[in-house]
Amino acid sequence: MFKLNLVTPEKRLVVDQELEEITLPAYAGELNILPGHAPLMTTLEPGILSYRLKNGQTDKLAISWGYCQVSGEGVSVLAERAVHASEVDTKADQEQLKNNEARMMTETLDDDQWEKIQKDIARLNAELDLAQGLR
Amino acid sequence: MPSLKDIRSRIDTTRNTQQITKAMKLVSAAKLRKAQNAIVNMRPYAQSLLRVIANIAATGRVSHPLFTPPTEVRKVLLVVLSSDRGLCGGFNAQINRFVDQYLRQNKPKYEAVDTIFIGRRSLDFFMRRGITPIESLTKLDKEISLDLASTMAEKLVKRYLAGEYQEIRIVYNEFKSAISQTVVCETLLPIDLSKQTLSGGESSALGFSQDMIFEPAPELMIEQLLVKHFSIQMFRYMAESVASEHGARMTAMENATNNAKDVLAKLTLTYNKLRQEKITTELIEIVSGAEAL
Repeated sequence: MFKLNLVTPEKRLVVDQELEEITLPAYAGELNILPGHAPLMTTLEPGILSYRLKNGQTDKLAISWGYCQVSGEGVSVLAERAVHASEVDTKADQEQLKNNEARMMTETLDDDQWEKIQKDIARLNAELDLAQGLR
Repeated sequence: MPSLKDIRSRIDTTRNTQQITKAMKLVSAAKLRKAQNAIVNMRPYAQSLLRVIANIAATGRVSHPLFTPPTEVRKVLLVVLSSDRGLCGGFNAQINRFVDQYLRQNKPKYEAVDTIFIGRRSLDFFMRRGITPIESLTKLDKEISLDLASTMAEKLVKRYLAGEYQEIRIVYNEFKSAISQTVVCETLLPIDLSKQTLSGGESSALGFSQDMIFEPAPELMIEQLLVKHFSIQMFRYMAESVASEHGARMTAMENATNNAKDVLAKLTLTYNKLRQEKITTELIEIVSGAEAL
């Protein structure tokens, strides 16, 4: 039994479903996990997560920060934010993206702010790509 | 002796009040359910995050200032969670009393005890008593969000790491049930892992093997995880406090509605008595008037 658990602070998306394959945006790059993967713990970057369950059900989500733990029993993913393509507010996201870019051009930012904006931009891009079916 | 008209108008106002309190109770009940859902939904996330941190810490390969207790506590920061609005029974009074007492007892022990107030009720209360917080957060009446909690959490972590305070504590109303809330004072920082690792008995459920691959290295990872964990904790405290507030208000309004009902019954009784008396006197007047003829 290789199970998938996918939770965010607001909802539980997948609980104890048998997993066939999952692809995640991990710290060191895209990561594909199949049953029997070595125990691993990694943080997740903003990007697209997709999985396929044993029962044939598939899903694609844009996630922001999170982490993932792989053990003998399965994969458990904790994402701070995870949205489906249908849940993406394209207009608001584009606005926010422009806003961020403007800030980077005009304001002087310290390292923390810079990193935050970069993360936010990566998240927005992932969400927009997902909504437009680019990824 | 109030006249019939006075009593009638009092009956009317009481009835109006009763309607308002009843409506407020219903609103609070709906909000309470929402707040409770938020807590329940967040629990698995918070638990597994904590489990992972505890596991990494248990490997003994990392240490972090956020969970190594300082040798000496000189300055303490107290974070107080209350609500923005009243009409919720003892909710805010309880908090204020507790904090007042705490400050009085602990001021002499430490170099300084500073405060942060979240919620207008306790901010006003302590400002009137000449206690100025180093920071405050009001107008929370809209939904509390994870974003809000993490901004607050990041600020606290920064202050702690900068060495401004050696201990950060939080005072809030813990949500037991809709009718009972208790004031709880907990230590936020340093994060106490020993207790949680022990109580989280299922920590080995996910099988934490020795040859786990870490990406990035555990030292880097725990840093991120701890900050996230702390934000989640902050969010949980806020959510608990909001749930308690609505619970307290619901109970208070329920009581108010019942009181109004009692008052109404009493007033109606007096009203009817008075009316009867009046009729009797009028009758006697008529009868005696007729007899005199």
